[in-house]
Order: sequence, then structure tokens, then C-alpha cells
Amino acid sequence: MTDKRSREDLSRQGLGRRRLMGAGALSAAGWIAGGGGWLLAPKGAYAADPIKMGIATDITGAIAPSGNANWQVAQFTVEQINKGGGVLGRPIELYLEDTASDPKIAVGNVRKLIQERKVNVVLGGITSAMRQAIKDPIVNRGRTLYIYPQLYEGQECTKHLYCTGPTPAQQCDKLIPYLIKTVGKKRFAMPSANYVWPQLLNKYARKVIEANGGEVVFEEYYPLDQAEYSATIGKIRDGKVDCVFNTVIPPGLQPFVKQLYESGFQKNGGVLTCVYYDENLLNYHPAQEMEGLYSCLDYFQSVDDPFSKQLQADYSKKFPDTKYLFTAGSAATGMYRGVKFYEAAVKATNGDLAREAVSAAMDKAKIAQGPGGGAEMVPGHMHCKMNMYIAQCKVDAGKTRYDVISKADMVDPKEC
Amino acid sequence: MGDEVKLAFDLLAFISVMVLIVLGLGIIASMMGIFNFAHGEFVLLGAYTVYLFQDSGLSAWAGILAAPVVLAVVGLVLERLVIRRFYAAPIVAMLGTYAIGLMIRETVRALLGGQYKSINEPLSGAFVVFGLNFSVWRTVIVLTTILVIAGTWFFLSRTSVGLQVRGALENPNLARACGISTSKLYAATFAFGAALAGLAGALIVPLYQLSADIGTRFLVQAFLSVMLGGVGTFEGPVLGAAAVGGMAAGLPWIVIPVLADPLVFVIALAFVKFRPQGFITQGRL
Repeated sequence: MTDKRSREDLSRQGLGRRRLMGAGALSAAGWIAGGGGWLLAPKGAYAADPIKMGIATDITGAIAPSGNANWQVAQFTVEQINKGGGVLGRPIELYLEDTASDPKIAVGNVRKLIQERKVNVVLGGITSAMRQAIKDPIVNRGRTLYIYPQLYEGQECTKHLYCTGPTPAQQCDKLIPYLIKTVGKKRFAMPSANYVWPQLLNKYARKVIEANGGEVVFEEYYPLDQAEYSATIGKIRDGKVDCVFNTVIPPGLQPFVKQLYESGFQKNGGVLTCVYYDENLLNYHPAQEMEGLYSCLDYFQSVDDPFSKQLQADYSKKFPDTKYLFTAGSAATGMYRGVKFYEAAVKATNGDLAREAVSAAMDKAKIAQGPGGGAEMVPGHMHCKMNMYIAQCKVDAGKTRYDVISKADMVDPKEC
Repeated sequence: MGDEVKLAFDLLAFISVMVLIVLGLGIIASMMGIFNFAHGEFVLLGAYTVYLFQDSGLSAWAGILAAPVVLAVVGLVLERLVIRRFYAAPIVAMLGTYAIGLMIRETVRALLGGQYKSINEPLSGAFVVFGLNFSVWRTVIVLTTILVIAGTWFFLSRTSVGLQVRGALENPNLARACGISTSKLYAATFAFGAALAGLAGALIVPLYQLSADIGTRFLVQAFLSVMLGGVGTFEGPVLGAAAVGGMAAGLPWIVIPVLADPLVFVIALAFVKFRPQGFITQGRL
């Protein structure tokens, strides 16, 4: 018995230490004694029982920067709601579990949210591998509503699972015709990291490229940490490629972009485009390598919209000098929308938190405002329409920024 | 013609990166019989030093010069405190150095907030010869690698300290009997290997950008290089690194890229099967 207890203590210590790595984001939260995990209890007195919202995101591990941004945005959004009187007078209580960038760890921790904390909804998961791992413990065995906030490859059509990030259709339908018709690029190369998101995104993008009269010269997959791309650069040169549709991700990303730049691709009129590039990525490359890059996302910090500007200002006030930005690429905008959609759905059910009822309301939920504009669920499709922006990276005196080139209103996700 | 020259340059540049990284690892493995699993993190610390210099507004050149010095000190301290206790147990040494590496890596990851940082080349851009673009910084790396190889070779085979090092390697007991302090030599050798790793990290970081995993991605290939080239010589690991680097950069021209990586291992392992001692056989340094 003593043995068992000391081992449990040890493992709890271990978890605690690992969690401490993300302590910056957790400073506002309190440790829940016993089972581990974090609770952010609303301040002030409320008449009614709180709504329990579970956040399962990657506070530690390889994609901790995105996970911490998600957690901060969740805190920020919930605080705004609670300050405004909560949802129909009920405050939202936040419960955080670390998914640690590791699906094996995540499943156990998510189960804690469901079984011990008995949360009414779970938001989170960033990579597709994570979503696949935690959706069953949440939606099927856990009988709980799940909201997934990240831009992704599509084809997630599980009942009671709502996606609030952009889909391939939303990211490609405006951008690719723009590149072909307006920028005048026809010959595409698709260098890609070898996992599910690039594979499925490329499949969709290829259709759009070909439907618009463009041509895919090659589509190629690399190990995620490939360090040397001269063969790829050779193919881009020999194939007379004029547009590189990149889905290589870090750490393989930086050497690829550098070698592409060194080969004079951009100087000779080539265009680099990458649909996951947000403000975080600006610091990943020297400025000159980023110049002219096209991206297409649901929000950029330079979007000229008073509500978005105010949101960004309030976020900076709550988290001054934070490393974790409120951007589209790290699922932060999807997190904001997810929390607000849930609020709208609970209002529509008049405070009924039963999953079936909230899910039915989620299906038709609308939010009037958000980063980049409002959004609305497409009934029966579990994905939402949102505004999409095409932006280009500009460099001024060594500083990079995105200039928004065009805005498309309420683009259809075309999923399910 | 131009394309072939360009290809040759790209191969040479990547081979230089591999050789730079492997050199320190190979020297420590050959001289001391220690497989230093923290080598990737020594490379990382070299890169991190440059980042600290750049971040505090100092010249990147100063960072590149400081990195080997910083790492020599780190190596010396680690050897005195930890590594020297492992000489009798090479397997424990692997685990011990792995643990050291893990601590360094995760500390740097926390310091960086898990983000990637871009480091600018001190000399950026390209120069043009016969209408071909050559990256200036890759050229600097190629030249530095040649200098470092020549310098290290000269030091080990032509100086009296080098002679003592080789003697201590050949027969530690006899060397001690002749009044050579092998303990001091081992400390110096480990510090030298660490310094080379620091230099490698400082030079390659502008090509790859700083992240906590910058060293680990090369580590397995570096060990393969040492195995392929043969432990116990100076030239072996260098040739091994050249072979592994050349294959890693060249194979994607021939096969699809996801196959290139495993294929490097298959070819190298097949070679080692028939020639277990590696490329170089005749004696040690």
C-alpha cells in the first residue's frame, strides 16, 4: 500500500513539474487538489450554478506555443462573458487538462474532464492526430459535446463534434483562383510534409488548381524534419514552376524556404504561398525570405474591423507582452468562435445543458462578431461559414507584416 | 553543365554541415570510447549562444567566435563533474549523456517558449560565378569545415600534444607510466569535442533556425556516420559523415524523398555488415 501511494505521489509530482513548464499561462489558474488539472473559477457572486467548460489543449510538448495561445484565448473569452453577467446569469467555469502534444497522455487526461469534472462541453485539440484520439472519449463514450478549433484537412463528420476553424475549401476556393487569374501563376508545385493534413489539403487544392486552368507540376512528401532540399529546388527549376503551394511545416520548413529563396525563385518572379502562415510564422524566417508570400486565413491582425481591433487590444491588455499571440494559425480564433458558439447555443436552449439540446442549437448557431467578423454554423454540416482573407507579406525596413488584399464574405466550408 | 555544378555545390554544402557536426562526436568517440548522446545539445547550445548575442544586439560574428569557447567550458565542467565517472562503463555513459542532453534540450525549449527563432546569416545573399548563384554563407561553411579538418588533423598528427593524445589512446597505462596525465588529456579532449559541436551549431543555425530540436535531427545520422567511418580514427568519422551527407542530399534526386532517409540507413547498414570495422581500418590515430 505504501508502495503504491508513493508511486502515485511520484507520478503526480512528475505531471506537476511538466505542467510547470507552461506556468506562465497557468499563473491565473488554481491547482485542483487530488486528481490534477487546473480550474479557473469565475470571480464574483452569481445566482445560478456555473456552466462547466473543459479545455483540452497542448500546454506542454512540441506544439505548446499553439496550446498556450488556445488556453489564453479561452480564459480571455470566458472572462469577457462572465464580466457581462455570464450565460443567462450563469457563469462559465473553465477546467484545463494538458494534452501534452501526445495523444496517449491526452486520452487519460480528457477522460478526467468528462468523468471527474463532469464538464458540459470540451473544446480543444490542435493536431488531427489529437482530435482523432480524444473525440471518442469525449463524444461517444463520454456523451459530451466537442468543439475542435483548428484549421484542418476536413472530413470530420462525427455527430456532436463541431469544427470552428477553416476547411480546405475555405482556404483554397478564393486563394487559388486569385493566384491563377489575378497574379497570373499557372504551374504549381506542392512540396509537403508527410502527414494527413497536407495529403488531404493537396487533394482538394489540386482540384481547384485544375478547375481554374492551372497545372500541378509535382506533388511530393518529405519527412517532417528533412534538412536538405536541393533535389526539390532542382525540380522546381526544371519544371518551370511559378507558384509553390507549400505545406512543409517546421522544423523541415525553414531550410526549405531558405533554399528556395537562395535559388532565386522569388527574384525570378515565382510566388510562394502557404495557407497556415499567420503572425507567429513571421519570426520563423529572415524578413527577405518572407517577402511576397501569400496566405489565406480567417483573420489577420491587420484586418480592418473595429471589433477585431478592440478584441486584439483587450487581449494584449489581459496578457501584456505575451509570447502566445491571438492569431488564426494556432487555432486561437477558432477557440474564440467555439466558446461564443457554445454561449449562443446555450442561450438558444434557454439554459438547458443536455447534450442533445445544446447540440441541436449549435447546429444553427450564429455569432455576430468575432476576430475577422461573425460566423454561422451550416445546419447539418457541423462546420461554420466565416469570412476569409487573402493577405500578402510585405517587408518595411526589415520588419514583416501582412497586408490584407481581399476579403471574401461568409465562405462555405463545403464539408459533410 | 550549370545545373551539375549547382548540384555539386549543394551536396558539398550539406556534406560540410554533416562533417562539422560529426567531427566533435567522432573525436570523443574515437579518443575516449564515449558515445556522447548530448552531442546534439552541444550543437544546440552553440546555436543558442549565437541567438543570445543577436538578441542582445551584439554582432553575430562575436557569437560565432564565442560559441566554441562557451562549449569548451561547458564540456570541461561536464567532464570533470560527470563524464569522467563513466569511462569504465560505456553503456552507462550513453544513458548518462542522454540524460544531460535531455536536460539541456528541455531547458532551452522552455527558454524559447517552444518557438522557432530566425537567426540571420552574418553574410547573407549570394555571389554569382558564370551566371550561377552561390549562397555566401554556405560557402563560408564549406571553407570553415575544410580549415577545421586541416587544423584538427595537423594538431593530432603533427604536434607533441597530439602525440600524447594518440599515445594515451593507444595505451593509457603506458602513457601514464611515461608521465602523461591521461585524466587531463581526456578532459581536454572532451572540451575540444564540445567546442567543435558549439562551432558547428553556431555556423549552421542561420541555415535551419533555432529550435530546441536542431541538434537531435542530426544526431542519429551523426552516429551512423561514426559507425560507417569506423571508431578509433580521425579520418573515419569524417569520411563517414561525407558519405551519409552525400547520400542524404543526393538520394532525393533519384528516389521519392520519404524513401531517401531510410535508404541511407539501409545502404550504410549493408556496408557495415560486410565491413564491420568501417571505412578506415589501419590502427587508431
